[in-house]
Amino acid sequence: MSDEARVGIVLVSHSAALAEGTAEVAGQIGVGSVVIAAAGGTEDGGIGTSIARVREALHKAGASVGVVILPDLGSSVLTVRALLAEEDFPWPVAVADGPFVEGAVAATVAAAAGGDIQAVLRAAEEARHARKL
Amino acid sequence: MPGSCEAAITLTGDLHARPAGSLAVAAARFQSAVELAVGASTADAKSVLAVMGLGATRGQQITVRAAGPDAAEAVTAMIGILAAATPVGG
Repeated sequence: MSDEARVGIVLVSHSAALAEGTAEVAGQIGVGSVVIAAAGGTEDGGIGTSIARVREALHKAGASVGVVILPDLGSSVLTVRALLAEEDFPWPVAVADGPFVEGAVAATVAAAAGGDIQAVLRAAEEARHARKL
Repeated sequence: MPGSCEAAITLTGDLHARPAGSLAVAAARFQSAVELAVGASTADAKSVLAVMGLGATRGQQITVRAAGPDAAEAVTAMIGILAAATPVGG
């Protein structure tokens, strides 16, 4: 199973710590078999988003079976859209409209289970319906 | 021929995020529908968020039910992961 390609995941946040911490949590839960790349903060380490950081993360998580990008809020979405509008990538890329932490965890588990890009995208988006209490 | 299967185990550790992830990844490999039940709460074993939402803790009895062509194998796999959940969890 381990040599099967897994859908990659890119977490885009205004904060490097938030993106990296979420990737760390999701990686633990996803049994470590999925590449989760964090793209948080600006290039000078501030709060904000960076096209260059998202591009770098996309290349890190790139997989023949595709990559799902999960943005946190507002301009994360705009940054991702701007990058995808100006550049083509050699694998399918999907942007998930879901909660950041829950979506990252659910998407990682779906990818670890061998789900295709649609299954991973669906898992991230359906995470909005999960109750935690 | 679809079948159904059920087994229960008493948790020796809390059903934290890490074992919940292992359960969901393993459950997804089976064609059968797999459900976990703790008290009156049930969760789709293929949904990591639903499994975590059970909030199952050490000492509770958890029941695994599966229905489908590989129900018995699915229940065996789930019980194996639940039995391995450690008291510190993850």
